[in-house]
Amino acid sequence: MAENKLTGSAINMLSLIIIRSLKVRFQQVLVVFAALMVGAAIITAMAGVYFDINTKMSQELRTFGANFYIGPGQGTSLSNQTYDNIVSKIPDSTLVATSPYLYGVARTELQKVILLGVDFSHLNKLVPYWQVKGKWINVGFDERHAMIGATLASQLELKVGDTITLTNNAVKHKLIIRGIVESGEAIDNYLIVNISLAQSWLKKPNEVNYALFSLENNDEQVSHLAQSLYRQYPKLEVRPIRKVSASEGKVLEKIKGLMGLVTVVILILSTLCVNTTLTAMIAERRREFALQKALGASHRDITLQIILETTIICTVAIFFGLILGYVLAQILGHAVFDTAIDLRIQVLPITIILSLVAAFIAAIVPTRRAIHIEPAKVLKGE
Amino acid sequence: MSTTVIETKGLFKRFDQVTALNNINLKIKKGEFVAIMGASGSGKTTLLNILTCLDTSTEGSVLLNGVDTAELDEEGRRVFRANQIGLVFQQFHLIPFLSALENIMLAQHYHSITDRNSALKVLEQVGLGHRVDHLPNQLSGGEQQRVCIARALVNECPLIFADEPTGNLDEENEQIVLALLQELHAQGRTIVMVTHNPELGRYTDRIIRLQHGKYIGEETHNEADI
Repeated sequence: MAENKLTGSAINMLSLIIIRSLKVRFQQVLVVFAALMVGAAIITAMAGVYFDINTKMSQELRTFGANFYIGPGQGTSLSNQTYDNIVSKIPDSTLVATSPYLYGVARTELQKVILLGVDFSHLNKLVPYWQVKGKWINVGFDERHAMIGATLASQLELKVGDTITLTNNAVKHKLIIRGIVESGEAIDNYLIVNISLAQSWLKKPNEVNYALFSLENNDEQVSHLAQSLYRQYPKLEVRPIRKVSASEGKVLEKIKGLMGLVTVVILILSTLCVNTTLTAMIAERRREFALQKALGASHRDITLQIILETTIICTVAIFFGLILGYVLAQILGHAVFDTAIDLRIQVLPITIILSLVAAFIAAIVPTRRAIHIEPAKVLKGE
Repeated sequence: MSTTVIETKGLFKRFDQVTALNNINLKIKKGEFVAIMGASGSGKTTLLNILTCLDTSTEGSVLLNGVDTAELDEEGRRVFRANQIGLVFQQFHLIPFLSALENIMLAQHYHSITDRNSALKVLEQVGLGHRVDHLPNQLSGGEQQRVCIARALVNECPLIFADEPTGNLDEENEQIVLALLQELHAQGRTIVMVTHNPELGRYTDRIIRLQHGKYIGEETHNEADI
């Protein structure tokens, strides 16, 4: 050794032994570090996604369309006022999009068509899966433009930018085709116009056939809203669209379960890797421990030494694991949900505790071997 | 009359069917330099391991400075060893990543507290004041053994046990180490040395001979048939 680093008559021999021991076995320490860091990173990434997945999944599943339906019940109708009242009761944080729907037959210069009145301002959020050639209409009060189903457009040989004219005897209303909709549903046969235009043209000024809602469901809002509306509007038909809202829950559970499983498997592998490497390190250090025991080291001294070494490696591994885990979570978030993952504060203690537990479990067997070394045999070379 | 500091009574050590030590009764006085000699398999290392509290007897008592170590549990033997016994090994057994001085301070650490000055003092005593910061692999075999002796001395333990202390040394270093042990003896230390080398017996006060685990006699330095 070129330079002795002792600075006083009293030194902390334990820290000296630990630091030198870690330095001299750098490659093995690196293996333990890597195994623990990967474990910590996976825990961080999985826990990060786990706690953020409800929000992200809910957002993702919004792309499947509306998840809540309100329609007239037996002997009742749904009015504009009722619809507006219901909308006003839904918190902004829950309501993603909504639109009333009104159908009717209208005459055009070309042929009779089915007219569908909607709220254009929410439509692209309510039915994001529609394939639109041209543009969406984003303004709720736009009565100059219309969208048209692809099948109807084909029948009428209309394309984006063309004009279609509604006629009612002498009254005419020109509409410019802004977008052609391909949904794979009956919508493809309809002429889609602003709800107020549809109501006036069809002479149903205060009438709505039904309304669809896209609601956040990361905290079971759909069920809660359904229960609340059942009580307030017992004559209306109020029902969650289970196909979407229920599948959210199932998909979430499955994804969370899968993430938990992956985390457990990675933790086990990480623990086994650390255990194997620590066992090899302890085997290599048998004489070192035997000598220390011969000089008077207690089981506690030996245990403390190994635990502190493991803790130091684990602490550094956790630090880098958290950084790597954050990056992994972002990659996962962008790949699966096309959005960033917000790491919640809970992730920190979970990563620290699970990593330390894995490291200490891995250290149990090597530590027991170290403290049961018989100095007399080992120092004699047996 | 000198005090007896090491005494064994009816000492047996059995490994399954093999009796490694068979009714050993010894007395070693304070300040004596004693060699335990015998051929390989005679039980001398087994006896030394029991005397140094690294192993336990199957039967009999071992009185070290008046304490029956056979009655002590593992923790009691550890504490006794740290406080009362200085060990010198044939293969030196220095921690490879600690310097000569730090290896000596390691013994202080497990005894009480580290004291750099007293560690330096013993290192100088064995003639290695200029090798303080050297790692074991930067020292010759003789120097490593002198560090090992310094480590045995640093806690001022009353009993020093050496297991074949010159077994791995050349003749020149053997003489240096023996001279060192004699010097310690002259200072009044009690030294028990295990060896199978008859030449080393000349340097001791007394030779205790073992054969097949049995005590077969003892001779003083002048009478020893070496």
